[in-house]
Amino acid sequence: MAAHLRGDTAAFRELVERYADGMLRYLIHMTGNRDQAEDLFQETFKKVHEKAHTYRGPVFKSWLFTIATRATIDHMRRRRHAATSSLDQETDCAGNESSSLAETLASDGAPDPAEELGREERKQQVREAVASLPVKQRATLVLAYYQQLSYREVADVMGCSLGTVKTQMSRALATLARRLPDSISVTK
Amino acid sequence: MNGHCTEQQLIDYAFELASEAQTREVRAHLDSCEVCRAKLDGLKAKFSTLDLLREEVGASASLIASTVEAATGTKRPAILRLWARPWLGAVAAVFVVGVALLIVSTFGPGRKVSQPGTEKSFSQENLSQRTRDVPAATGPEKLVAADRSLPAEAASPTAVWQPQAKLGAGVVAQSLTTPAPAELKLADAEIDEKPPFAPASAIELVVLPRRQNVQLTIYNGADLTLVREQRLLTLKKGWNWLQFMWANTLIDPTSLSLEPVEHKDQVEVQQLVFPPRLRELGRWLIRSEVEGQVPFELTYMTSGLAWRAFYMGTLSLDERSMRLEGYVRVDNASGEDYEDAQTRLIVGKVHLLDQIRDLAQRQYAYGDPRSQGPVGGLGEAIDLEARNESLSLAELLSYTQGDSGVPMEAKEIIKEGLSEYFLYTIEGTETIPNEWGKRLLSFEADDIPVTSLCKYDEERWGTEPIRFVSFANDVEHRLGETPLPDGAVRIYRRIDKEKHLAYVGGTETKYIPVGEKVELNLGPARLVKIEPVLMDVRTENHTFDSKGNVTGWDEVRSWKIEIANARTLPVDIEITRGFDTPRWELKMENPTATYEKHDVTHARFKLTVGPRSKEVLTYTVTTYHGAREQVLIQREQNAQR
Repeated sequence: MAAHLRGDTAAFRELVERYADGMLRYLIHMTGNRDQAEDLFQETFKKVHEKAHTYRGPVFKSWLFTIATRATIDHMRRRRHAATSSLDQETDCAGNESSSLAETLASDGAPDPAEELGREERKQQVREAVASLPVKQRATLVLAYYQQLSYREVADVMGCSLGTVKTQMSRALATLARRLPDSISVTK
Repeated sequence: MNGHCTEQQLIDYAFELASEAQTREVRAHLDSCEVCRAKLDGLKAKFSTLDLLREEVGASASLIASTVEAATGTKRPAILRLWARPWLGAVAAVFVVGVALLIVSTFGPGRKVSQPGTEKSFSQENLSQRTRDVPAATGPEKLVAADRSLPAEAASPTAVWQPQAKLGAGVVAQSLTTPAPAELKLADAEIDEKPPFAPASAIELVVLPRRQNVQLTIYNGADLTLVREQRLLTLKKGWNWLQFMWANTLIDPTSLSLEPVEHKDQVEVQQLVFPPRLRELGRWLIRSEVEGQVPFELTYMTSGLAWRAFYMGTLSLDERSMRLEGYVRVDNASGEDYEDAQTRLIVGKVHLLDQIRDLAQRQYAYGDPRSQGPVGGLGEAIDLEARNESLSLAELLSYTQGDSGVPMEAKEIIKEGLSEYFLYTIEGTETIPNEWGKRLLSFEADDIPVTSLCKYDEERWGTEPIRFVSFANDVEHRLGETPLPDGAVRIYRRIDKEKHLAYVGGTETKYIPVGEKVELNLGPARLVKIEPVLMDVRTENHTFDSKGNVTGWDEVRSWKIEIANARTLPVDIEITRGFDTPRWELKMENPTATYEKHDVTHARFKLTVGPRSKEVLTYTVTTYHGAREQVLIQREQNAQR
């Protein structure tokens, strides 16, 4: 960041590359849609570039996620009246096209098709459960669970107190406990 | 712990959300309760399904490259995955939130451009020059895309979408061209005289130019702002559709107006239609004899933008003069970002028959916002009742702050009177994002002579003396260049030579025309006590009827008013006393104060009390009752004859 502020043009690219995967994962979890996540990804780093002079450190990651979270919340607000596309999209969160049943059945070396279908179904249920959370609860969950930030770091990102973060997390988990599918053995 | 753990307790325990005491309590319970342990295991297993979404996601090199390029200035358009979204055509109209522009061309691709011979000014050279002036998002390569008209089925995966073609918060612009049915392909330079019925639904996404400039005229007397903006629109020769969306904004669709700024004799805006079932969306039909970029002016009314004035006065140590700073604050809650807008503020009262906010939030553009009432253009709905004021120009420095909070270059607010209202124009342009407010210095004036006065009037303010500061909006008081808009006033006082300030009081002031006196009520004067005490009451000069009954008398009351000033400054005091009758006679017992008849039933005393001192005011008032009063009335009537 310091190099970028000094005008080192390569430094910004390095910055983007270093945080790209984590940021994209975060935005996909937040939006449930890879295309939207990529748009927000661009928007986030554009703001990082524009607002670099306001960065006061010390934790760049928190600052970066603060910008991304705000951009995402703004994006959600703008789109709150529009239909979300995650439920009927034909690409999964990783951007891969969903396979048809026939393709799944025909694929060589694939795991048991029934198991794979069940897994996809549960995945969709999890995605819907996470997507159903209010945006701040979702952000808290994604930052704490998927990004593995400490609650204190989440509070820094969200710009709120530690207590608020814990309350949001607690509510999010209570909601998920009702909406998540039954337990399975998860294979990554 | 009584009974088993609740699910919430187990969740908080598992995710380390509970306090230490609660954690200890739950842990102790779990050690001894198999049921709760099983329940906790079940919850953990359930939450483990969250890991299904832990996918190995990587940002592609192209995404990183385009992000870096977009952030550092060279934007690369994102790819719209039309092939992966067969539903896109159906939801495109509602997908975009806000205001969007749609150009739908109904004629065939690949035809040669036939420029009228008289339009040399719109030559290729001129067009090239213009395209160099617009942002990268509107570059000429995108115009080529606009010229292509493809069948719907051929909505190619290579179609380009530029999400940065943005009007503001919640507002995305797109311009869309229709496919050209083969039978509509015309020979060069021919334009079908019959306008197309409606734009086709199959679309190709292309890029729309940003605003060239925008002007805001904000009225503080009503929730009303006039927006005028210029855009370079790319037209095809023939019929063009231009779409405007106002979802999530407070734009009044009935006020929309679109006019070409150039080529007025060759470009004609024919009609504005509001397609059925599509909310918050309108489409203009434009007939163009030229092909290329044409500047258009778009005007409309919106609500949600407001400005208000407020003032800060700083009294000098002796409270005989004051420095006054006037500010205006512009707030944007319109749902739309306005970048680099020339901002003008109108002082005046505007009477609206329809509230813009209601008009903007109707489902359909010409639905009535209320159950009953007029429907029509805003032009009919507005009735200006602004004040007429003498005109003057003032150049007063102002400054604003940027995002970083660092003071920026001083700006000027130029004020001028118009025939119907007063206009403040902020120098240069201002960016006012949605949900932001911006404060600007309007004027500042030093050493305004002021009068500080404590007033005591039980009938108006009870038993507390009230503090006033007064001055006039005129040249004598170093003001008088412009009327002062209504707003909040806060008064401070310098309390030492180091310029430390003490808050004195605040109030709301009404609109102050030039030449008018201003009297600011700053609230109770805590350090001044005024206590009237009735010392004696007696009646005298009784009159009787023939039976010895009392028919009239004089009532004599003796009052002592104790005035204590605990301040370090002398205080001018004005005490108003009422007698409930127009026939009274007052006699001062000591010469501390003078009095004057304020009105028929009131007397007003004026005196100055020194710092940290007391004064006592004594007076006797005689009032006349019954026959005694009748005698006086009779004398007055005789005197009038």
